[in-house]
Amino acid sequence: MTATASNSSLPSASLISTQALMGIRNLELRARAVVEGFWSGLHRSPYHGFSVEFTEYRQYTPGDDPRHLDWRVFARSDRYFIKKFEDETNLRCHLVADQSRSMDFGSIGHTKARYAATLAATLAYFLHLQGDAVGLLTFDERIRDYLPARHRSSHLRQIMLALEKPVGGAATDLAAPLRRITELVRKRGLVALVSDFFAPLEGLERSLTDLAACRHEVVVFQVLDPAELGLVFDQASIFRDAETGRTLYVDPAAARKSYVEKLEAHCAELHRICDKLGIAYHRLATDQPLELALFDFLQQRMHRGTNARAVAGSPGNLPA
Amino acid sequence: MSFLAPFFLLGGLAVALPVVFHLVRRTTREQTLFSSLMFLQPSPPRLTRKSRLEHLLLLLLRCLALALLAVGFARPFLKQSVPPDDHRGVARRIVVLVDTSASMRREGLWAAARGQAEAALRQAGPADQVELLAFDRGVTPLFSFDEWKTTPAGDRVAQAVGRLAATSPGWSSTQLGHALVRAAEDLAGPDDAGQPGPREILLISDLQEGSRLEALQAYEWPKGIQLRVDPVKASKTSNAGLQLVTGSDDADRDAGPVTRVRVVNAPGSKREQFQVGWTRPDAPEIIGATVEVYVPPGQSRIVSVPAPTHAPGLSKIMLRGDDDPFDDSVFVVPTEAARTSILYLGDDDATDTHQPLFFLRRALPATRRQAIQVTARISSSTLPANDVDSADLFVITDPLTDAGADAVRKRILVGKTALFAPKSSASATTLARLLGLPSLAMGETKPEKYAMLAEIDFRHPLFAPFADPRFSDFTKIHFWRHRQLDAAAVPGARILAKFDSGSPAVLEVPAGKGRVMVLTSGWQPEDSQLALSSKFVPLLYSLIELGGDGAAPATQATVGDRVPLAAMSGALTLRMPDGTSVTLPSGATDFTTTAGPGIYSVASATGSAPRRFAVNLDPAETRTAPLSEDDLARLGVPVTHAAQPDAVRSSEKKLVLQSLEAESRQKIWRSLLIAALAVLAAESALAGWTARRTMPTEGTPA
Repeated sequence: MTATASNSSLPSASLISTQALMGIRNLELRARAVVEGFWSGLHRSPYHGFSVEFTEYRQYTPGDDPRHLDWRVFARSDRYFIKKFEDETNLRCHLVADQSRSMDFGSIGHTKARYAATLAATLAYFLHLQGDAVGLLTFDERIRDYLPARHRSSHLRQIMLALEKPVGGAATDLAAPLRRITELVRKRGLVALVSDFFAPLEGLERSLTDLAACRHEVVVFQVLDPAELGLVFDQASIFRDAETGRTLYVDPAAARKSYVEKLEAHCAELHRICDKLGIAYHRLATDQPLELALFDFLQQRMHRGTNARAVAGSPGNLPA
Repeated sequence: MSFLAPFFLLGGLAVALPVVFHLVRRTTREQTLFSSLMFLQPSPPRLTRKSRLEHLLLLLLRCLALALLAVGFARPFLKQSVPPDDHRGVARRIVVLVDTSASMRREGLWAAARGQAEAALRQAGPADQVELLAFDRGVTPLFSFDEWKTTPAGDRVAQAVGRLAATSPGWSSTQLGHALVRAAEDLAGPDDAGQPGPREILLISDLQEGSRLEALQAYEWPKGIQLRVDPVKASKTSNAGLQLVTGSDDADRDAGPVTRVRVVNAPGSKREQFQVGWTRPDAPEIIGATVEVYVPPGQSRIVSVPAPTHAPGLSKIMLRGDDDPFDDSVFVVPTEAARTSILYLGDDDATDTHQPLFFLRRALPATRRQAIQVTARISSSTLPANDVDSADLFVITDPLTDAGADAVRKRILVGKTALFAPKSSASATTLARLLGLPSLAMGETKPEKYAMLAEIDFRHPLFAPFADPRFSDFTKIHFWRHRQLDAAAVPGARILAKFDSGSPAVLEVPAGKGRVMVLTSGWQPEDSQLALSSKFVPLLYSLIELGGDGAAPATQATVGDRVPLAAMSGALTLRMPDGTSVTLPSGATDFTTTAGPGIYSVASATGSAPRRFAVNLDPAETRTAPLSEDDLARLGVPVTHAAQPDAVRSSEKKLVLQSLEAESRQKIWRSLLIAALAVLAAESALAGWTARRTMPTEGTPA
């Protein structure tokens, strides 16, 4: 399920380097650059509405809304068929982006916050191109911005602007934004949570459970810096916490083993929670190309979409 | 190697600082921002052997620079062999000078001075020679060098202390200069010239500002004699004093006669408000009205105290409100007017404004100081013997009878003065008779316009008051006519002034004990403008003083002053302020043993009225502010402050001086400082090189 597991299927040589990508100042341009080449309509909306684009016919079964009967087919064939159209705007995606100070760390030229913002923007742009409504919620130790899901170009720009805001706050509270989303978004949709998850996980499981119970599809992106993954520092020094300002003298050589163990344990716990709730979990290092993340995401979405369709037992298209 | 300021060596401890900084630098090098410390554990500070070795040279250089600085500041010098102190164990010669002036009567001072003197005496070794002198206005030897030598060693101190105990402060002024000169001379005496040991004067005094040092000004201080000052400090700094203002018996036009006194407040005084008033000599408090006076510390005020009118016998002015009473009273005996009797011998009428007598009477009015009685007698008549005998000065303007001239000459011969100012040359015979000459030629001269005085002898007491150029202009006095007298014909005559024509104008002719002053012109308008000039009255007073009769007997004296008793004759009985009487031998001309302030009276056996005089404290004694020791040093006296046992301290001081000299000659600190600078330069270069070398690799994650 993780991105790292399936990245090999994409030729990495053709991808834009992360450094070059992050060198682009405009967030929207960065998002466009990533989405470039992925416009192949890889996913479909799980919702079938009555829009302009026809998808299929389905035989009427008692209980269906008689308004949706295709009377012309009935006149020709004396059978009741329900006419189905593709609903492009029914997917409501909410991006929940962490903008706490812990995201303001970066050892390879760009911070996690910038990477996460680009990731969120890429998703937003991609979904927008797909015709989905995109909303945004940013948070640190409290909720900073909330933009409800809409499908408008101006709305997309607002999302970009909100994502470009500088980091702040003195802590990270993961549970509160998820609770808020649960409260605000009644209709089923996609919730993509982007954070480093450097916070206690106690309240998170409960919040994710609530979200899942509302039948939201939840995707978790854990963004980490390569230096964080292995505590890659060569000099002992005073480490200052970006959020609390607390300082600690740390010799990386001595502390590395214990650090990595603790970090892995933390990630494993997060992974366990996601697995338990059927939530897609992606761990991304900030030197990893974003296309891969998008690719993984779409692959996972396709897989999920296929599964959903299989579960729904589609009758297939009727002949016109 | 020794150090002049070894305390600076403590600065060497600062070499620990670079070591600490090197360690600290390892542990707290720089800060790294990290996203979260939630997975991190604090690490104990860790030093790798490699890193310590890398900066060891730097550390050594830094330590070396600090150590060099510390040693340099400690001012090292190489000790040279110091000759042993010659004076140690050698007999010293010490003169202990103890102040017994009036200012030592202040509270606690004398006891302290005695204690210090005793301590100094007890510190004297058996080989030392000590002389104990008490001084105020004069010097009183209490225990001389000779006595010290002849007394057994065990008894010396006890005897000297006993003599000191029998002494107490008197009422005299402080002649510190005289006392120091006397002590220095005792030490530098010929008997003691060969003594090798140190010679020293120990001065135990309150060193008040009023101490007199004039005697030191003309004295070359002998070499090798040190003055050690051991001052006694008064417990109270407040002191005010009273002084009689000289010539103070003035009369206030409104309030009648007043006595003026000066109230002096010491600089450190805490009191400012005082009262002054009259009292009896033996009374402790002011009787009658008081005068309030406000005197800020360090200043003085003169106040007029109205003379008592109702209560007789008040002869003391007291100051109230002061802490130290020793200088709070002055004794006052009013000056009696001097009586001078002038016998005028002439034929003129006293009311005739053209005659000399008219001007003479008006020129000599009676004052409070001088009562001048002018008695006029017709010169041609027989002179009453009583008048001639009682006259102090004769003024002769007209020819006398032979008997009259002889009578006057007799008085002149015993010391009286006669002013002979003839109205005409007809008086020449009288002058000849007065001078005991057979005959004398005198002519009459009338200058064409007028004559003026020239060639005045201003050195003569008669003209001395006019010696100042402001007053020496006699040219405005015109003489219309004068007598011509040949001075050569008068033996012993001294010309005091001449007319511009060259003929004598004023002559002094001694005769016996007295003298005849000859004025060859009169002062009446017919002869000259002299009577109308401003010079006339002073000239007459000069003449009266010349006769020695003008001065009233002194009624005020200072303790220790010589009081002249010349005017009194016969055996004299002197009554002291404390009631005791002293009989002075017949023929005594003065009295010198005024021991304390008060009213003294002298009575003669002849039954004449007793004469009173007041003796007061020297005003300088009132100035009790401490004298600066620099004043003594300025007069060439080598002063050392005596807070330490002398011998040990002086040798220590000498050692310190020698060390100072050696250090200033060797100047090792300079080399050390240069070395430290060189080391610092090397350290900077090395540190810079190290920093440049390590900069690219530091601070980046691996």
